[in-house]
Amino acid sequence: MAMNLNGVSYIVRETMRNLIRNSWMSLASVSTVAISMFVLSFFLVLTINLNHVTAVLQSQVEMKIFINRHVPRSQELALLRQARHWPDVRRIDFFTKQQAAASLKQEFPDQRDLVALISKSNPLFDGYDVYTYRPQAIPQLAERFHKESIVHTVVYEGQVVSRLDKLSNILRWVGWIVEGLLGLATLFIIVNTIRLAVFARRREVQVMKLVGATDWFIRWPFVLEGMVLGILGSLVADGLVDGGYRWLTGAAAVALPFWPLAPLHSVMSEVLMFTLIGGVLVGVLASMVALRRFLRI
Amino acid sequence: MIRLDKVSKRYPNGHYGLVDVSLTIRRGEFLFLVGPSGAGKSSLIRLLYREEAASQGEVFVDQFKLSSLRRSQVARLRRQLGVVFQDVKLLPQRTVYQNVAFAMEAVGASTRDIRKRVPQVLELVGLSRSRDNYPHQLSGGEQQRVGIARALVNNPIYVIADEPTGNLDPETARDIVKLFVEINRRGATVIMATHAKDIVNQMQRRVVAIERGRVVRDEVRGAYGYES
Repeated sequence: MAMNLNGVSYIVRETMRNLIRNSWMSLASVSTVAISMFVLSFFLVLTINLNHVTAVLQSQVEMKIFINRHVPRSQELALLRQARHWPDVRRIDFFTKQQAAASLKQEFPDQRDLVALISKSNPLFDGYDVYTYRPQAIPQLAERFHKESIVHTVVYEGQVVSRLDKLSNILRWVGWIVEGLLGLATLFIIVNTIRLAVFARRREVQVMKLVGATDWFIRWPFVLEGMVLGILGSLVADGLVDGGYRWLTGAAAVALPFWPLAPLHSVMSEVLMFTLIGGVLVGVLASMVALRRFLRI
Repeated sequence: MIRLDKVSKRYPNGHYGLVDVSLTIRRGEFLFLVGPSGAGKSSLIRLLYREEAASQGEVFVDQFKLSSLRRSQVARLRRQLGVVFQDVKLLPQRTVYQNVAFAMEAVGASTRDIRKRVPQVLELVGLSRSRDNYPHQLSGGEQQRVGIARALVNNPIYVIADEPTGNLDPETARDIVKLFVEINRRGATVIMATHAKDIVNQMQRRVVAIERGRVVRDEVRGAYGYES
């Protein structure tokens, strides 16, 4: 595949010539790529946001472990040190029942009965606040704490998060399937565009083969054409996504002020990466497919 | 050196193009390939530049063993060969100059080399003045010369021509053959399939006769040898 500058200028010239000669088909290809990449981006944006929401909720989720009464402090701290090294445990904080009472009083200063009750004889427990890396791990982790003899009860609210997680998994799969089908359709259209270009130049291709041009030398202009079509289509899609997402964040700020939308730059960097890689891949693949028959001389 | 070792070519329809052909061609030789239409001359030539592969036996072109050639090596083989095709295969939308230059572009030659080499070759085949004409503006003999120029432009070791005089009047045909003699004199090995009986008889060069796919005669200073 080594190539000197003459080769490069030849390839660029030929690519431009092909693109212009078939400008209508080129336009059709770019539009198809754009639509396909827009759909890809749609799913991407959804998953990114679901992941974002999950992450936000996750950081708030905690599991509370309450410890039996009259367990010596040393045992309480021993379990704490042990549990720190369990898998999926991100952070674990110990609290005494006095601290629990204090934070309750602080949280509900207006509940006089409650305050009176916990001030008289503290009915609360010592315990731990546990934070995890993965919300799916919460049930098992709860189970594990529960098996410890000093643990009284385990309380967690992980269900929401694990459902969100399941949803984003499903969405990812649906996204891949839809995208696979669209990708095939896109491939088909680009293959046809490039096949037209190759067909218009089949005599050149034949002569080149016969005078000893390498397959790659013949392929490059067409591969480049495919890449240009793919990249142009992707950029159109990226523009649409960027505009759309800006609008969405603006609207959401008014309608759903508490809903944590993923920031534009993190969405766009992923969208750009995926669509550009996708566009290039589809373009290159299509040109290889389109040329196969013509190179067999 | 080109060597065919017990080569047979059988086509998918069962028809035999070549049967058990063994032949050696040394560098610098001038060889006529003669025989009736459909005898296997074109089959032999297509085997040499690997447009087709032998069904049995082995073809060697210098260091290349053609049965086990990878695709990238096919390109390298063809750069050693300058082929003049029976149907010339000129590109109609390109001028004489561009047609010849195209063969150099295709193998990645530099613009400077192209500008230097193409006029030299056009001069050799006598087409300097037609360099900006398109193929359809040329006579059959001139088109054939463009094909020859294109075959020569990358300095091949072997020049292989399949019926280059096929559709030409005797006078023009003689000029074309003279051109091949000149090419041979300058060092290239020339293999030329032809029907032109008078020319072959007159030239007194090596003649290989093929009939029904077999070599029936191989003479160092041969004659066409057919009453046609």
